Amino acid sequence: MKTKIFLLLIFVSFWSCETNDEEDYQNIPINFQVPSNFPPLAYDMTNNPLTEKGFELGKKLFYDGRLASDGIVSCGFCHIQEDAFTHHGHTFSHGVNDNIGTRNTPPIQNLAFQTTFMWDGATSHLDLQPIIPFTSEIEMNGNFSDAVLMMKNDAAYKNLFKQAFPNGEINSEYMLKALTQFMVMVTSSNSRFDKYRRNENGGNLSNQELEGYALFNQKCAACHATDIFTDNSFRNNGLPINPQINDIGRFRVTELTEDLYKFKVPSLRNIEKTAPYMHDGRFFTLEAVLNHYNQGVVNSSTLDPILNTNGNLGIELTETDKVKIIAFLKTLTDTEYLTDKRFSEY
Amino acid sequence: MKLQLKNFVAVMAMAIAFTSCSSDDDTTITGEGNLKLEFDNVYGSADFAIGTNYTNSNGEVLNVSRIKYIISNVVLIKADGSTYTVPKNESYFIVDELTSSSTLINLANVPAADYKAIKFGIGVDKEQWELGADGQGDFLAIAQNAQMMWSWSAGYKFLNFEGTFTSATVADATEYKVHTGQTGTDYNYAEVTLNFEEGDVAQVRTTVTPQIHIMTDLQHITDGTNKINLSEQATVMGGSKLALVTNNITNMFEVHHVHND
Repeated sequence: MKTKIFLLLIFVSFWSCETNDEEDYQNIPINFQVPSNFPPLAYDMTNNPLTEKGFELGKKLFYDGRLASDGIVSCGFCHIQEDAFTHHGHTFSHGVNDNIGTRNTPPIQNLAFQTTFMWDGATSHLDLQPIIPFTSEIEMNGNFSDAVLMMKNDAAYKNLFKQAFPNGEINSEYMLKALTQFMVMVTSSNSRFDKYRRNENGGNLSNQELEGYALFNQKCAACHATDIFTDNSFRNNGLPINPQINDIGRFRVTELTEDLYKFKVPSLRNIEKTAPYMHDGRFFTLEAVLNHYNQGVVNSSTLDPILNTNGNLGIELTETDKVKIIAFLKTLTDTEYLTDKRFSEY
Repeated sequence: MKLQLKNFVAVMAMAIAFTSCSSDDDTTITGEGNLKLEFDNVYGSADFAIGTNYTNSNGEVLNVSRIKYIISNVVLIKADGSTYTVPKNESYFIVDELTSSSTLINLANVPAADYKAIKFGIGVDKEQWELGADGQGDFLAIAQNAQMMWSWSAGYKFLNFEGTFTSATVADATEYKVHTGQTGTDYNYAEVTLNFEEGDVAQVRTTVTPQIHIMTDLQHITDGTNKINLSEQATVMGGSKLALVTNNITNMFEVHHVHND
């Protein structure tokens, strides 16, 4: 009998909430268009359709240092828009309590088109990816219950959660969904290269850049595939192992010896802005990167076969090849994305 | 596999026997009630307690400081083989030896019926994984606070079994950790179906809340079908050994009895 009354009470309270929510929920869909030169979307939006308020909430979360244990280190702390959401100039980034990581901050761009995340592919779902930096003791050291409590006591969050999701509940599920909506929107598809590919105005490439593109297709595109510039695979690109860190790469996830020292093939979009390069940020310039592929590749049992032609390690590149390829890579800089006010903290 | 088939035949036989003699009652059973699942950890033939020594078949002496596991996707099976599936987003539980309330799971809004078997998962299934955040509610927050989040891979620990051990080759008490969960190669999620003892029925009624007493034999974790030698490797958190542990823990559950009072 008691339960019945209790259930009735729950029912009544639910019902009254629902009427409020219906007034508050703002289902203003965002029409996300896949750029015509892109591969198909990897993220399934069925369960998390983009809305204006969901995106706004995600952006607020992205830039909110209160999610971290020290109240300072937000996602945007290490992912800075003008640097293609990387931590420009930082080989490694510092999280809470001056902790330092061991991998270089990757850019945030076109993640909805990718199937694995983090340098070692530790997760394969975009919704779940933020769990890693958020809960990592050396990054944000965050706690979901604390974050939810903070947001439940914050008028702006209370409003935004109601407006962004039909039942308006503040919980870890909707927190992650909103962050995904922000990350999906952070798309870079309007570089000069994109316009060239789509035959749009402003899509002129110089002869040098076109020659660089041809060389790139010939020498780099096997891994840096499609107009997203990654085939989502994990490879050992022959970097000498730094014994102080001995980062085992993909092996950490699979514990398969064939995955030792393999890292995810990164996208090259906005690469002009994302120095330093490689999983450990060891190269400061694009010239240094190409010099590695040309002369620095070290053999090992898991070295990618593409980089070993009958004992000749690396990729054959002349000095002019390098200049041309770098000229081409700079056509991937997307000023629109780098300065888009919708993505900005302020 | 053979054993499962035998059980299946037994259930079928009972199902037939049952339907034939209780068809009158069936028509009168309506409404919904509650059902409780009690998870009672044991170690071999002894009751289990944190901080007590237990000896395995390979001579390793374990002293457990933490044992938690995720129970999920509960399905109740009636005598006639039809089932009731607990709604997915209400069907993830963390059982923790040190939190007594967590060892008694209440399932609400269960259709009144006579249940003869139960099926559940250990861990978080692939289907849920592929949904991302969808449907998880606050389970991530709960798991994080329970040390059941596998932070670095954005996943869950399905089983968290920690403590110290000694053996013939390891004289000083040494820490061990066994965590299962999804890896890059295996999901390591497993499901078990447990038939009740003959004559045992969970009679869910609007006024009756049966309790299914499940015994979990923790010895199986490292000392089951597969032997996980802690003296060789005291930290088992990935790789092919997780699949062996997963296989072991599918055999650690047993319905001891059911009461309907």
